[in-house]
Amino acid sequence: MSTPAPTSPPSDAIVRQKSRTGVYVAVAIVIVLVLVVAGFSAGWFKGSSPGGGSPGVCQPPSGTYIEGAGSSLVFPLMYQWETVYGGGTAVNYASVGSSSGITDISAKTVAYGASDAPLDAAQRQTATGLLTIPESAGGVVPIYNLPGVGALDFNGTVLANIYLGTITQWNDPALVALNPKASLPDQPIQVVWRSDGSGTSFIWTSYLSLESPTWAQNVGKGTEVNWPVGTGQAKNAGVSAYVGETPYTIGYVDLNYALTDAIQYGSVENPSGTFVLANVTNTATALTDAHLTLPTAGGDWYNVSALNSPGSGDYPITSLTYVLVYQNLSGAYGSSMGMTDAQGLVDFLYWAVTTGQSYSTQLFYVPLPAYIVTADEASIGSITYNGASVPNSCGASV
Amino acid sequence: MRCVGLTAGRSRGSGGGDSPIPAVTDSEAGTTGTAPSLRRSPGRRPIPDLLFFGLVTLGAVVLLVLIFSIVIILASQSELSFRTYGLGYLVGTRWIVPTSASPFQVYGAVPFIVGTLLTSGIALLLGLPLALGSAIFVATQAPNFLRGTLGTAVELLAAIPSVVYGFWGIYVVVPLMRTTVDPALKQYLGWTGAFGGPVTGDGVLTSGIILAIMIVPTISAVSRETLFAVPASQREAALSLGATSWETTRIASLPYARIGIFGAIVLGLGRALGETMAVTMTIGNRDAIPTSLLSQGQTISSLIANELTSNSGPLQYSAVVEAGLILLLISLLVNVAARLLLWRVSGGRRVVLAQ
Repeated sequence: MSTPAPTSPPSDAIVRQKSRTGVYVAVAIVIVLVLVVAGFSAGWFKGSSPGGGSPGVCQPPSGTYIEGAGSSLVFPLMYQWETVYGGGTAVNYASVGSSSGITDISAKTVAYGASDAPLDAAQRQTATGLLTIPESAGGVVPIYNLPGVGALDFNGTVLANIYLGTITQWNDPALVALNPKASLPDQPIQVVWRSDGSGTSFIWTSYLSLESPTWAQNVGKGTEVNWPVGTGQAKNAGVSAYVGETPYTIGYVDLNYALTDAIQYGSVENPSGTFVLANVTNTATALTDAHLTLPTAGGDWYNVSALNSPGSGDYPITSLTYVLVYQNLSGAYGSSMGMTDAQGLVDFLYWAVTTGQSYSTQLFYVPLPAYIVTADEASIGSITYNGASVPNSCGASV
Repeated sequence: MRCVGLTAGRSRGSGGGDSPIPAVTDSEAGTTGTAPSLRRSPGRRPIPDLLFFGLVTLGAVVLLVLIFSIVIILASQSELSFRTYGLGYLVGTRWIVPTSASPFQVYGAVPFIVGTLLTSGIALLLGLPLALGSAIFVATQAPNFLRGTLGTAVELLAAIPSVVYGFWGIYVVVPLMRTTVDPALKQYLGWTGAFGGPVTGDGVLTSGIILAIMIVPTISAVSRETLFAVPASQREAALSLGATSWETTRIASLPYARIGIFGAIVLGLGRALGETMAVTMTIGNRDAIPTSLLSQGQTISSLIANELTSNSGPLQYSAVVEAGLILLLISLLVNVAARLLLWRVSGGRRVVLAQ
């Protein structure tokens, strides 16, 4: 072919009719965006979401906006709280994972953080003046997907060996010994863990470290560890979705996720030799029986653990989960934390550890025992703003 | 380069039936010797012109400042990692975070560079034929009633958020890979060594396939527009000489549109390199070099998504940021390579035309 190609752009390109429509759409989007931004800045959306109001006795200041972020373990409960908490205070909690929660509160980009893992020494140095306030507790359960196989029993050693990669088949003798009646398939175990920094991982690896010296020496505990085998998924919801969808997998999530997503989870042997299938009751007794020695709110909580509680019916993988908040709230949330906001935050925290606990059971979280609530009230009472204390406006405890 | 031209408003106002006068750039004006009366001296510019000039300059300057501030932030935040490992970071194959078991930590970028290049490579390999095929079909072969429908369908694919692709990946692609595709690949292509290891459903290949589907609409839509722009006279000339449909496409359409198609491929590759959500949900997120296409891995984007805020200490944080810097560098290299190739391709065409 010797047809010379024109050197200039073609003049007979097809002209699109759409262009005019595109302009209208773009203009409409811009208008909507402007309205939304204006709405947010003018406070149109604040305080309109919580309906009904809380049954508590607090009279918190209206029109405050509290932003929190962190633990995905506690997210369903936090979400319930922000929905029912009234008084014109809007609470907005982002389920970004415990590690991100610690990062965010350290950077003061949120008013409060939430983490299932307590601050370690380095983190306490980075963010001085943070209070650790337990606001709920939960059980972490081993979830699995084995078509046609019912309830399974596990113990710490077997779980550690599965996560170490030394038990690789579902019909491994160790698993068969624990579950003589189950027809375990001759299939490889696919291990699933949290790929993001996770308080749930911290609880899980802490338990495996307690149960298996090999695990403690080679992998250890942490929000992020060097997993010997398996696949990573983000957040509790990610692990739960992946295991729910994929046969022959095993993972770990908070009890709430296993129950609401209707995923099979196994019983775990406790120190008394009983195989316990986690529920709200036996995680609650575990927390009571643990008789935790609580540090002061500003102290070192790293070694506080309710794992392997001594009661004969206690679920062994039970742990507190914490709210992290600055003791001195002036300048604690960028520069935007005013006295009213501080009051709103204190009231919300107080409400959460008292009245808010009544929402725990229905969501499969553990209501805090009285001795922890008392400690929490003292911790929240120690919060200050500009040197003055910020008493909650809820009156006496409920 | 300053753009000096008559404002549209002026030309429209002055003559009712005039066709709009195209803007003339300095260089064009200089080389073609356009009458100097078209150029206005800066001192006598009308206000709207100045306003326009100011606005577009502001846009360009803000963009430059943004790019530079991103690079500076990335560089300063990754300083610790750079000082600790130097260039060793680029060849390091291990990524080990400190835990209670051992405070030992070491960070190397190779697993993530490999993961990124592998997934994007697979995506391009699988996505390109599909994208080009659909673009050529819509632009040259499709009956009119299908043209609009197919075009819209492809654009719709481009509008789906990546997290939706991720969910679709977990619920559809991963099970399909685990039950059907992976075992078949292992059985028939296992001898190549590229499909070893346990079959899990997720991994590098799965992510690559999802990325392929994600970049198809980008490549297809842009290629299609370029193919539409091929003058009808070109195709008619080829057809009149007795060329078949395929020959017409090959000798008339594709050479004319190749620069645009190339640009489309670069755009698609850019999306594949930077995609985070869908990859994180399907690649398995293992901080190790993939041992086969079926094994789990991690791309730079998924590493950042998973570990930027994971709080394993300042060194780990700065190593993650440095990975971001490397991703920026890879994107830059791809762009430069594409430009070079484009330059050579268009240079080649000029030679042909000169004959």
